[in-house]
Amino acid sequence: MNVKLTTLETQTRPGAAGIVRALLASLAGALVPGLGHALLRKWDRAVVFLGSISLMFMIGLRLEGRLFNPDFSDLFSSLKFIADAGNGLLYWVCWFRGLGAGEPTAYTFDFGNVFIYTAGLLNMLIIVDAFDIAMGRKR
Amino acid sequence: MKDHLLWLVVLSLLTSLVFTFLSRRRAKERLRYFLLVFFSFVLLSIIAGWLMRPLPF
Repeated sequence: MNVKLTTLETQTRPGAAGIVRALLASLAGALVPGLGHALLRKWDRAVVFLGSISLMFMIGLRLEGRLFNPDFSDLFSSLKFIADAGNGLLYWVCWFRGLGAGEPTAYTFDFGNVFIYTAGLLNMLIIVDAFDIAMGRKR
Repeated sequence: MKDHLLWLVVLSLLTSLVFTFLSRRRAKERLRYFLLVFFSFVLLSIIAGWLMRPLPF
């Protein structure tokens, strides 16, 4: 069997500085959506991520969505909290200020929650993306 | 504020935008991918809504 190798991809492993940079970018992204990309000078993505996630979060609050407390008593409470907390400082600042109490009788309560969950979960993907870019796995 | 379709479109728009910038780099590719994801989100959500219509909850 004749196998021809036409291209040879060489991947360089990032050093300790590269790993620290990747962790810093991830941490920054976890605190503020898009900040990790801004640190990596991916300005277009940083602006889009900050704008989209913040807007979704604010719409969620405006639609009477609830910010779920850190409650690990059952699986669904934990998952709701984790999804909400994915928003980083947006979640924590609003939660400490007592915003996002939610109004379960409001017509838009569920819509609001979906916006907040989605924003948090998307931000988790954004953090992974920033990590991959910093590690050189992605451009 | 009570318009289901409006919020579906807004959610799809913002989510598609994030997915597009996560997975495509060139402007032309981004536009095509964004339109594909956005319309898929809206259309599939409407289809899912119709399929769930007979359910008792």
